[in-house]
Amino acid sequence: MRMTKILVCALVLVLAVSLVGSGCKKVVQEGPLVFKIGLMTGTVSQGEDEYRAAERLVEQYPGRIVHLTYPDNFMQEQETTITQIVSLAADPDIKAIVICQGVPGTAAAIDTVRADRPDMIFIIGVAHEDPNTIIPRADIVMEVDNPSRGKTIPELAHAMGAKKFLHYSFPRHMSMVLLAQRRDLMIETCAQLGVEFIFVTAPDPMGPDGIPGTQQFIVEDIPRQVAVHGKDIAIFGTNCGMMEPMIKQVLATGAIFVEQCCPSPTHGYPAAMGIEGVKGDGALAGNMPAILEAIRTKVVAAGAGGRFATWPAPINMVFIQAGVQLAMDIVEGKADPANLDQVKAAIDNAPLMAGAGEAQVKRIQPGANYYLVVLGSYIFK
Amino acid sequence: MALSRQPAARRIQSDVLGIVRQNAVPLLFLALGLAGVLATGMNPYFLANETINRLARNSFLVLSLLIPVTAGLGLNFGIVLGAMAGQAALIAVTHWRIPGLSGLGLALALCTPLAVGLGWFAGMILNRAKGREMITSMILGFFMNGVYQLVFLFLVGTAIPMRNPAMLLTQGVGLRNTQDLELIRWSLDRLVYWRVSGFSFPVLTLLAGAALCAVLMFLARTKLGQDFRAVGQDMHVAEVAGINVDRTRIIAVIISTTLAAWGQVIFLQNIGTLNTYNSHEQVGMFAIAALLVGGATVARATVANALVGTFLFHLLFIVSPFAGQRLLGQPQVGEYFRVFVAYGVIAVALGLHAWQKRQQVLRALARDKLAAAEVSGD
Repeated sequence: MRMTKILVCALVLVLAVSLVGSGCKKVVQEGPLVFKIGLMTGTVSQGEDEYRAAERLVEQYPGRIVHLTYPDNFMQEQETTITQIVSLAADPDIKAIVICQGVPGTAAAIDTVRADRPDMIFIIGVAHEDPNTIIPRADIVMEVDNPSRGKTIPELAHAMGAKKFLHYSFPRHMSMVLLAQRRDLMIETCAQLGVEFIFVTAPDPMGPDGIPGTQQFIVEDIPRQVAVHGKDIAIFGTNCGMMEPMIKQVLATGAIFVEQCCPSPTHGYPAAMGIEGVKGDGALAGNMPAILEAIRTKVVAAGAGGRFATWPAPINMVFIQAGVQLAMDIVEGKADPANLDQVKAAIDNAPLMAGAGEAQVKRIQPGANYYLVVLGSYIFK
Repeated sequence: MALSRQPAARRIQSDVLGIVRQNAVPLLFLALGLAGVLATGMNPYFLANETINRLARNSFLVLSLLIPVTAGLGLNFGIVLGAMAGQAALIAVTHWRIPGLSGLGLALALCTPLAVGLGWFAGMILNRAKGREMITSMILGFFMNGVYQLVFLFLVGTAIPMRNPAMLLTQGVGLRNTQDLELIRWSLDRLVYWRVSGFSFPVLTLLAGAALCAVLMFLARTKLGQDFRAVGQDMHVAEVAGINVDRTRIIAVIISTTLAAWGQVIFLQNIGTLNTYNSHEQVGMFAIAALLVGGATVARATVANALVGTFLFHLLFIVSPFAGQRLLGQPQVGEYFRVFVAYGVIAVALGLHAWQKRQQVLRALARDKLAAAEVSGD
């Protein structure tokens, strides 16, 4: 009996020592340049661009990037998002975490991580949470300049011949402050240009019908709208899942398509136009000028030259490339999150920006490291 | 008599088999969870802290489901209504900028009348839909979600005079999609926060869950608790015995909704940000899944089911993405694996319950037949 007690005590002691020991060992391991970057993106079902960009970075920096995904059902599964981010911080070698897109739960996860590791660097591309919430928490946020696009999109639509402008969205997106601001600016700009603004509420892809419900609505609604309003109508939608059916239907009905919610040559266009070799190891993968040319050929062949446009680089992928570069530079002390020029340089030098010109970068408000980015447009003609 | 003639070893074997059969669902989850832990080789501190944290913030919500099950209303998907009441109170407290424990206390106080009202409303409707309570409560949740969106997206800033640029959208109507609950964040969790050699315990939050367990167990022994059971077993018999069935059922829903409101406040003080239009949506589904994983059925659920279920369900949710990634080498496969395992096993849980019920019925039938044969033999 006594033997058993002694044995149990000894075992508990061994367990405790090994636990404490393993904890200590990892802390000592710290050294110059021996660090990793955590990277979180969606899976391919939410946005293929981001996942592929992350995959390529994992190959480019072997052993230095830990890639995780957030749940497909991210609106409902915040707890999983938080756990995933916190799990990255549980690895003491990870000094910075890059998240694209910053889905709900990101701010809560940053709080949880910083409670134990106040020095962790967080870089967010496309924050879903409110700027007021994310600005005090993240070191850098990079976001498409949606308020500015409220002006540039209707202007380009007008230049491409649109007499009317159709905006598809739903209440959840319209409760996102930058998207709501963009819509208000679009209404204003359309009024100035003499373009009629039409708002149509589509089903929320996070609602009971899911992404297929939204896509079906888009497929059915665009021909109806074009029949009522004529062909000179520019179609715009705020959700990624809408893009592929939208481009297909705009091409079929002869309407105008200025750019996607997240502008990129690879977002919606290849699938809608039947362009092969864009994904994975395909012949066109990562080669933006070649992809743009392939889309142009298809658009012109369909007799829709000058009615389609997009940005020349996939902006979310650029955010991931620039974010990882910035994260490494900040950890090594070579960059400062508050330096706008360094952020702009990281974006301009991202490999996917080759041939896409310069980005315009500005702060959302003075003093905030929340950077808004705009690229020029590429019209297929 | 037949039993006593069995050799001891066989009796033990059949006892073990019986226990396994009765607890098939939690055991299956335990096996999956343990396999996941072994497959990931996860940092034990991370795993333990994350599990404790999730247990602390979720147990209250799962426990709020118990009383309606006892009272025969099945799994109350309507706890979403309570969650909405909790969130409305938190929005008010954030607007008035009341920090810390006093903010949390006020939120708990404010959400109570709201939750009681909503619970009464839900109870009235469920009384008109006897036998179809689960689907009715689920649809009721969708309906109230619409009302919630109407209130906070369109009435705030118009009919409800609220001027707070930090919380409202720039046009002054409707709340922003994220509300920062910084003022009350961790107000309960970190009030008494033990850190013991790398493990962290939010003591008061865990105690709140424990206190609720005690209250629920005490309630089961009171007259009201017995009424719940009587109504749950047979409404007609209860009615004949002089119990006001409709009233008892409404009380059950009111208690459940109110506990859910408090549970949501506790959950959100832990998370620290409110996802204005979505935080409540997952509440019903995940709490119910956790309860089922603990071995509960639509007709029988105990405190132990709730606690074991919360632990196992969240353990699996934590390890499965990493297990998928480790085993199959691709991060997104981890996510698909998690969804597949988590939701797949919920389906298995429901299937196993149906199978167990069938086995019970078959055994009862066999017993009856045997008894009838013995009677006729005599």
